[in-house]
Amino acid sequence: MKGAIIVAAALLVASVSSVKAFPIHGSQTVLPDGSELNEDALQKPREIFKSEAGGKSYLINLGDLAFSSPNMLGDVARRAGISCSTCHVNGASNSAFFIPGLSTRHGNLDTTGAIFNPPADDHVLNPLTIPSLRGARFLGPYGHDGRQVSLRVFVRNVMVDEFGGAEPSSAMLDAVVAYIEDIEFLPNPRVTSEGRLTGRSGAAARRGEALFVKAFPHDPALSCAACHMPAGRFVDHHQHDVGSGGAFKTPTLVNANFNAPYFHDGRFGTYDEVVRHFDRQYSLGLSAANRNDLVAYLTAIGDGEGGEEQDSIEAWLKEINDFASVLATAIPAHDNQVVSLTVDTVGAELRELTEHFPDHKDPTVTGGSAERRRARESLKEVVLSLRRIGLAGSANDFDAAMLEYSNYQRLIQNSVPDMKRAQPWSLFDAKIHELHYAALRRVSETATPAAH
Amino acid sequence: MSNCHALKKIALPWLTVLIALPIWPGGGNRLAHAEPVSSPTEQYRSYLIEQISQTLASTKRLRERAAANDVDGAKKAWIAARVGWEKAEVFISGFVSDLDEDIDAWPNALSGFHAIEARLFGANTADVAAATDQLIYHLTDLDIKIRQIPLNSQGLLNGAARLAYEVGESKADGGESRYSGTSLDDMRNNVSGIQLVYKTLFAGPLGASDPKLALSTEQTIQQLASLLSVTDAKSLEPGKVRTASEELIVALQAAAPKIGLRTPTLEDITQ
Repeated sequence: MKGAIIVAAALLVASVSSVKAFPIHGSQTVLPDGSELNEDALQKPREIFKSEAGGKSYLINLGDLAFSSPNMLGDVARRAGISCSTCHVNGASNSAFFIPGLSTRHGNLDTTGAIFNPPADDHVLNPLTIPSLRGARFLGPYGHDGRQVSLRVFVRNVMVDEFGGAEPSSAMLDAVVAYIEDIEFLPNPRVTSEGRLTGRSGAAARRGEALFVKAFPHDPALSCAACHMPAGRFVDHHQHDVGSGGAFKTPTLVNANFNAPYFHDGRFGTYDEVVRHFDRQYSLGLSAANRNDLVAYLTAIGDGEGGEEQDSIEAWLKEINDFASVLATAIPAHDNQVVSLTVDTVGAELRELTEHFPDHKDPTVTGGSAERRRARESLKEVVLSLRRIGLAGSANDFDAAMLEYSNYQRLIQNSVPDMKRAQPWSLFDAKIHELHYAALRRVSETATPAAH
Repeated sequence: MSNCHALKKIALPWLTVLIALPIWPGGGNRLAHAEPVSSPTEQYRSYLIEQISQTLASTKRLRERAAANDVDGAKKAWIAARVGWEKAEVFISGFVSDLDEDIDAWPNALSGFHAIEARLFGANTADVAAATDQLIYHLTDLDIKIRQIPLNSQGLLNGAARLAYEVGESKADGGESRYSGTSLDDMRNNVSGIQLVYKTLFAGPLGASDPKLALSTEQTIQQLASLLSVTDAKSLEPGKVRTASEELIVALQAAAPKIGLRTPTLEDITQ
């Protein structure tokens, strides 16, 4: 094998490591007790699109919508409310995701286990990390083992074979692929387009860069950069065995600061662990200072501007408006499949948004009762407007559906000031968020049998 | 006699009752309004009294069993207490939603049904005396209120719509009754409460003014009940439940003006 170094990424970003996902509890849930989806995180990955400036197309918005719809996956995922975007949050990864029996650590998942698609169960617990899809169009072949050249075929495989979904229509599959291919890397002013450090990087990173391109002492044909090619977004599109139990494709190091844990199975939590592995595996003889320099370099090239942003009303509205915009095309086209998917998916999103304004039963929030009720009322009316669109579509009354779509647009616009007024007492406020989830944790602790 | 005349004959007394009732924003009629005992709202009140009495009696039994350190007996009493409470939620949602925080707060590890549930079912301990005493106090207050509070159709329509919306909420995280595993029972009892208020107060007048809508509303309630008749919460089809719950509210909204009421609000925005 031609030598290779998969210096698969590093360093848990502070905001990621501080995330405390609230687990699912009880014997009556579809997912095992203790599953964590991290949907409660206040910090969310930032998602930017290639086509953002020119306006996202119908196809990309439809793909984004389908990507966020549990209806695209099989029975178990649908009943658990899991969609593609549950794992790939805003097209990035999900380092806090954990399902007992399918994960060996937070951020990995065995997609060939017994839960989502029992016929595909290989009876081996071999979880893989959830990859970020930022810049995916540059990163083929697909799958950790790089088994699939076509992203389209790979996406279909995940939906149908791994998650037990129904065969998606060709148009829907095209849409999902168009969406994924539109997800852009985060900009990184510390790296040039050729993958070289800019003047913004410190001395340690520069020393690390020199080590990164330096030939290995026992095999001069090898270097870190031989596989993680700086000019090629730090990939070489090939698979290599670097002593991790098989041949896996070279992962990109672009924005990798946000992609922990590292290696195909997520065995390493930090860049330092990764560097130590390669030091051992290839007898590199790195000093502690060398390792620190390499970590500084990886951190510099793995960075991205605004990798995460605080969850906000604006972010929700942007997504909801993008999703709902497909109705402007689907209703006149009498496309009930898309109308129905939109009504269900956007309706579910709106219900979730409503729950960001705690109701009167939540004792953790004492102020803004009238404002919260008003925001909830407004959002619930939007949900019902969507349902009326769905009902009109089902009855093939597309004129009525279009009329209701206008009403929907008015209602969603009207809900904005109500939400803004209630924001200080909502889960978008860091203090309220903490109070609410601390109360949930206390209930959970109260429900824990005392240790004997 | 034509069918139309027959319908009018049946409908008129209902419409008289409904139109005579003052309409208040959010449905909270604060007037002491004497209704004939045979009126639909008073019939509904007797049902409510029965439900809350059952809940109160079961909660007292829960206290007894807990005092005897009988965890299993206390669990049974807790589950029994929930039945009447959940069936009465149409009234709670429409008239005294503030009592929800005292009785059914979520998330709360200190007081209310779910604080007791976490200890009983999660920690498997009968150490629930303080929270149970508090709960009995609030339920006693509720028991008094439901005998005295003036009821009206608008408030009960609001309550039915609000509760229907709640039934459609995802229970993928286990729902509020996650430790006892009875979130599905909560939903069933909610729908049973909606069904009863609909039949008692609204089916008659709506059938008279718009039989087609009355039939489809009845069918949607039945469909919702049918979707909940699965063996356990894991088998629920949440998307279908949500759709049915929203279709029911859309139907109730369409029905409101046809029975002399305003479109139901989904939150008590008068508070």
